[in-house]
Amino acid sequence: MKDNQNPISPHLQIYRWHISSLLSITHRIAGVVNLLALILMFFWLLTFSLSESSYELFLLAINSFFGKFILIGFTWSMSFHIFSGIRHLAWDMGYGFEIKTANISGILVILSSLVTTIIFWLLGRGLI
Amino acid sequence: MNETRKWMLHRVSAIIVAPLFVWYYFSLISLSEKNYQGAIYFFENPLFKILTIALFFIGFFHAKISLSEIFEDYIHNKKIKDAANLLSLLLCIIIPIITLILLIYKI
Repeated sequence: MKDNQNPISPHLQIYRWHISSLLSITHRIAGVVNLLALILMFFWLLTFSLSESSYELFLLAINSFFGKFILIGFTWSMSFHIFSGIRHLAWDMGYGFEIKTANISGILVILSSLVTTIIFWLLGRGLI
Repeated sequence: MNETRKWMLHRVSAIIVAPLFVWYYFSLISLSEKNYQGAIYFFENPLFKILTIALFFIGFFHAKISLSEIFEDYIHNKKIKDAANLLSLLLCIIIPIITLILLIYKI
């Protein structure tokens, strides 16, 4: 390209926020956060394979207040990315492009990701 | 890789990796309150080992394609973009391979 001073899309700072753009950027951020979650899961496996004491240390870290905060955050980003991903797959197949449908599906993604996070923890910790 | 194929593989890997990710993360949450002994059955189950390997290889493959899309959109300096792509490629190859080695030789 000759003139690379031209503004390049996406202009996140310029547009007014809509649910569609908010979810689009959150989908990306959640994806990157999921990569961090995958790296955490790698450390889970790594510490287990190294020694019992390193595994205990890993457990201590994830069961701390900060650790739990991170784990719950990862649960939400996982749920969000999956629901939002399903929405993207529907678009890829040509469904749900009408503004009204896209707004409703967006709200559904947010609500279902929150509900899933709660259910996931209740099930995971054996509370239900 | 041809872009259409990349697009297709990105979707296919997403569909495969989503249930694996949920299963593995759920196991982490439910085993996080138990000790080392409580996790042995999970790590030493041969079926779980195969699924874990699948999760790490396909998951990091999915991550690599996604990261290069993100770099394409937000990094405008070609040198930095190439460096970011190379680093993420190394990360996405090394971690699954270490996982494979650990599961075969250490666990």
